Amino acid sequence: LDQAKKSSANKAVVEYRRQQLEEWLAWRERVEAELVEERQELGLEEISEERAALLVADEGGEGQKVVE
Amino acid sequence: MRPILLSGHERALTQVKFSKEGDLIFSVSKDHIPSAWYSANGERFGAYKGHQGALWTVDVDPTTTLLATGGADNTMRLWEVKTGRELKKWEFPTSIRRCEFSEDGRQLLGVTEKRTGQLSNVVVYDINPDPDAEQTDEESLRIVVEELPRVTVAGFSSLGRYIITGHDNGSVAQWDAKTGELLNEVYSHEDGMSVTDLQWSADRTYFITASKDKTAKLHDTQTLEVLKTYVADTPLNSAAICPSPTEYVILGGGQAAMDVTTTSARQGKFEARFYHKIFEEEIGRVRGHFGPLNYVAVSPDGKCYCSGGEDGYVRVHHFDPPYFDFKYEVEKEKQRELGF
Repeated sequence: LDQAKKSSANKAVVEYRRQQLEEWLAWRERVEAELVEERQELGLEEISEERAALLVADEGGEGQKVVE
Repeated sequence: MRPILLSGHERALTQVKFSKEGDLIFSVSKDHIPSAWYSANGERFGAYKGHQGALWTVDVDPTTTLLATGGADNTMRLWEVKTGRELKKWEFPTSIRRCEFSEDGRQLLGVTEKRTGQLSNVVVYDINPDPDAEQTDEESLRIVVEELPRVTVAGFSSLGRYIITGHDNGSVAQWDAKTGELLNEVYSHEDGMSVTDLQWSADRTYFITASKDKTAKLHDTQTLEVLKTYVADTPLNSAAICPSPTEYVILGGGQAAMDVTTTSARQGKFEARFYHKIFEEEIGRVRGHFGPLNYVAVSPDGKCYCSGGEDGYVRVHHFDPPYFDFKYEVEKEKQRELGF
């Protein structure tokens, strides 16, 4: 009986997490799409300057910084 | 995780920030000298000399050209990152508790301290990204915070549309960043428990607040709705959001020894705590500091994080592969479903 209880409790936990994940992903998808749309309407690039900095760093590799 | 200790500060750290490329760390402490470090090896990149009091805040623009600092000498200053040259000094009647650039680097805000006869204000300046250009003395906006309690933290939302403020009564407010009009106010944290930190997600559509009420909360920037709550067992000073695809948040805090009651099970609890961002569960802790963690920051590339302690050290931790591989069963299931 204990085993059965435990197993149904575990199931509930997993089911709850599944629901949390689905809700989060759906919310992110909506918000990200809205932001891209708003940026396009304003005539801006799809991602902000601060996020673009990371992409440039990835492509550029090492040794770009000037040392004091 | 191999930690690197950045030794150089002589006093308690107050804020640490990564450059947007993730290769540099900027730190401020009560010792008056902001410092820059290579995140890869902990070597010092430079120091910025001029302030005459404890420093509370630091931020860097998106191209790592301009650095902003503020502190107890009642000034907010702008520096050229690579030369250490002071470019601008703005003076105020009280200290600067917080400064932050907008995501495009074209605006800088400062939060002034509330003191007898002085309200806490949020001041905004337009910034010229050219280090050789003259910077303005004219505020583009000033929010005089009269109706709400003292502002502790503030920042610009995505698109620079809103200014979000955290207050020492635990509330969070949203202001129109053009007009300064108060749009929304929520009581996210326990009444009277100060909001100690506010950090953004990569796209600034949501943010995390840390509070003395021992919780950190994820908020929707648009609605200020609390999306997630992370419950800790010690007052929090800071909270950071790891960039995708890693779904973690990092919390830092702890009580100074003299504030800890003798009945407390674990004195101080000076650990960085990792929580799963979506499932709100604690998944791990990293020890090391000998005092409260005053600030935690994650590199925008997600490869490392750093913490600034009351003990005067900055600790940089580069993540090992298992950190990135750890997934809940339902996450793995989702990945399979999406065909990863």
